[in-house]
Amino acid sequence: MRVNVNNLTFAYTQKLVLNNVSFSLKSGDFLTIHGKNGTGKTTLIRCFLKLLRVENGMIFLDDVDINKIRKFSNVGYVPQKNDFNYEFPITVSEILSCAYPRKRDAFFTQIVNSMDLNTIYNENINNLSGGQIQRVFIARALLSKPKLLILDEPTVGVDIDNVNALHDILKKLKEQSITIILVSHDMDYCSDITDYYLNFNELGEYEFEKVGGEDVSS
Amino acid sequence: MYLASFFRALLTYDFIQYALVAGIIVGFLAPIIGTIVVIRRLSFIADTLSHFSLAGVCIGVFLSKLINWKVFDPLFMGIVFSVAGTFLIERLRGFYKNYKELSMPIVMSAGIALSGLFISLSNNIDSKFTSSLLYGSIYSVSVGNLITIVIIAAVVITFLSLMYKKIVTLCFDEVYASVSGINVKLLQLAITVILALVISLFIDIVGVLLIASLMIIPVASAILLGDSFKNTLVCAVAFSEVSLLLGFIISFHANVTTGPVIILINIFILIVIMIFKRIRTNVKKEK
Repeated sequence: MRVNVNNLTFAYTQKLVLNNVSFSLKSGDFLTIHGKNGTGKTTLIRCFLKLLRVENGMIFLDDVDINKIRKFSNVGYVPQKNDFNYEFPITVSEILSCAYPRKRDAFFTQIVNSMDLNTIYNENINNLSGGQIQRVFIARALLSKPKLLILDEPTVGVDIDNVNALHDILKKLKEQSITIILVSHDMDYCSDITDYYLNFNELGEYEFEKVGGEDVSS
Repeated sequence: MYLASFFRALLTYDFIQYALVAGIIVGFLAPIIGTIVVIRRLSFIADTLSHFSLAGVCIGVFLSKLINWKVFDPLFMGIVFSVAGTFLIERLRGFYKNYKELSMPIVMSAGIALSGLFISLSNNIDSKFTSSLLYGSIYSVSVGNLITIVIIAAVVITFLSLMYKKIVTLCFDEVYASVSGINVKLLQLAITVILALVISLFIDIVGVLLIASLMIIPVASAILLGDSFKNTLVCAVAFSEVSLLLGFIISFHANVTTGPVIILINIFILIVIMIFKRIRTNVKKEK
């Protein structure tokens, strides 16, 4: 999916968080958003997902203004580990089947297998490790056959083996031409598959650079 | 012996049959709605709406004595007030940015005050009537009430069946629900209206003071056992129905109000499950 952000500006009451942000991605591009807490990473994601109302600037997905999109059919979202109701008594199978409008079919099974969820399929989400939870959320996002996948700090609270496994999953998804936007504290994470970096600082400034050092901020 | 005489009475008297059918329906609906209420952390809304619904019932009693119009039927007025209460809470929330929960004690206070006022304005209201409002009197369920209960139950069950996946998604992960195209505000409003409808049905059965308990205590027990959403629902319905049936039999023989007995049985079940859970945890630790 092509992504175009034009002069996006966003402020919470008095605090300017995103200041005239512009960048473009082609289908299959991998963008890593980096910056300290409170610099606008999650705000940008929330603008993308229409969880915040964009009044200054525009976001286009495949040349369509997101304000004209009523329902995201090709956007997958993987939330931060603590962004869901983790006391909710729910199993992996229930989470996935609720995210899938049809009955379990070959595609559903393929996603479950590709995320290696068979052994934990009937487990309660509360009994899973951070890495397993992330795999469940990626599977849930993939069930919508996304062309754009947005991941918000997916490695927080995840052990090193699962962080590496997640890297391999993202690499495969990139090979399928899925555009990926990854928010990460760790700038080195996925550096081998990252095409662009979007770096925010505390002053509300940003740098959009292509891997290789070229600054393409516009 | 108790059981046999209860069933003999059940076969003999219509009013016991109506009461039992109403009880079984409410016993099924209460924990299902209650599960959503608990998980969405709306327990206090349930209490607020029950008190506001009481105001509708009392105004209905007052007006139906004054003007004999069907529209002022107390049960119907209770439903109207209960639903109106949800909108009132939403409107009041808009007035406070940081103290949104203030809307609920305001609506609850208004409900209690209106109830007290219209009970005192209504002539010939005896203490038995006010007691039945507070603690319920399921044996007073009429055929008309029963038809209303069946219709509302059918509407609620149809809605929940059709929206099951969306409701579970909303309860589990509100952000994802919004991203996946669910109209979160509309669904939340629909859930609150359904809650209001169900609450107004419960007034006759367990009374205003015990409505929230009937919805929440079976769920509190089920959450300790359920390892999935489905299991939690099934356990909650099972506990609710068992407590209702036992409550009927015990209150029939002891000649006491049914509502409090049902709630006390639910609390007994909860305590037993808490002890069972503690023992199981200790055994696991020892292993």
